[in-house]
Amino acid sequence: MKILFKMAALAIVTISVSAPRSAAAAAAAAENLVRGIIGPVGSNTSWSGYSAVSKIPGAGLIPVTSETTVFYLGFTAGTRADIKNMVLYTTARGGSTITAVTPVKLGGVSDPSIDLASPSVCPVVEISTYNPCIVRLDPTSITLSALNDYYLVVYFTSGDSNNESVGVTQPIFSQTSLTGSDQAADDSRLTVRDAIPNLSYSSASFLLMYVMTD
Amino acid sequence: MNFDRRLVKLSLMLCAALLPPLSGAATVNLVRGVVGPVSSNTSWANYSMFNLIPGSAVFPTTSSTTVFYLGFTAGSKADIGNMVVYTIARGSLKISKITPVTYGGTSVPSINLGSASVCAVAPSASKPCIVRFDPTSLSLSPASDYYFVVFFKNDSNNGSIGAAQSSPGQSSLVGEYLGGTDYTRLRVGESIPIVPNGSADFLMYVMND
Repeated sequence: MKILFKMAALAIVTISVSAPRSAAAAAAAAENLVRGIIGPVGSNTSWSGYSAVSKIPGAGLIPVTSETTVFYLGFTAGTRADIKNMVLYTTARGGSTITAVTPVKLGGVSDPSIDLASPSVCPVVEISTYNPCIVRLDPTSITLSALNDYYLVVYFTSGDSNNESVGVTQPIFSQTSLTGSDQAADDSRLTVRDAIPNLSYSSASFLLMYVMTD
Repeated sequence: MNFDRRLVKLSLMLCAALLPPLSGAATVNLVRGVVGPVSSNTSWANYSMFNLIPGSAVFPTTSSTTVFYLGFTAGSKADIGNMVVYTIARGSLKISKITPVTYGGTSVPSINLGSASVCAVAPSASKPCIVRFDPTSLSLSPASDYYFVVFFKNDSNNGSIGAAQSSPGQSSLVGEYLGGTDYTRLRVGESIPIVPNGSADFLMYVMND
């Protein structure tokens, strides 16, 4: 009987140690929620008064579940990016009517001023297309659904000299699920039942590089 | 006592039932590979082939090994001078790690495409010969990009080999090639000399096994 007990204990210990990809382990690793921007990037500069609108299509979601969504923005030039507002619009898949508006934040605010010259923000200080500064925004409390489309809007403060010299990532390759456009207007103030900005979303997205679980 | 025994049995049965399937049991894609039919790109003597495996496209599956599958569309023997994978911070070009890649235990294999044990039928664009390389001790991370580089020796065999070339825009794999230099000898801290901007050549699939 003692041997049987020992075998049972050993089995349980072995399983707890060696079981691959336990829930905790899976949650710990940051994983892609969609196919992000691929490889090296180009640059698109001068964003004062512009909104970068990026579409995250439900049809492109990778089947991994996460209670939070983390957006990564890419910068290629400038010393400071002054953002006036950031939001995420939800629409029905293929639809254009906004069904939910979720604030997106960095450092707890939706209007951050990002110090691109700080090594704590951009480890390689001389940012460029070869060394883009990839900024991780705060986790957004939203679980992306394959039944919806999502639009991330980042509006850069107008009449702002910092933003005149800001460069954002412009994809070289088209193999991404992220598409987007830009507009010289504040597109971040729309509300539920408004229509999303009537732009072309056929090109790969500016600024937004990755959408991940963490 | 009988109750205790039943309890122990139940515990063991529960453990067995709850165990996930062995990770080695299923072969799965680590990124979206080459989709559908391929075309052919021939004459590779003295060329280095670059294929980018972007971290942003890595699927959420964990594997301690990475297996590369190369597609050949022509030729009877491929003489490889060296093969490596360069690991790079996502979106950058500077090499942070180098991992050798082998076939049959060597990084300088001569692949006999004329052998039925390697290619069941003579390779062509309609029937590419897909060669599985040795598992590489590399666990792909979404936070890194990977460049798989193969240098083909400057010999007559390589003058007549053909690469399976993907249709642009479908796969997550992109590629480029440079002639005249063996770019598998770069070191940590150096940069990839070219930004891939074309279809993937040779590399068709990246899998866990």
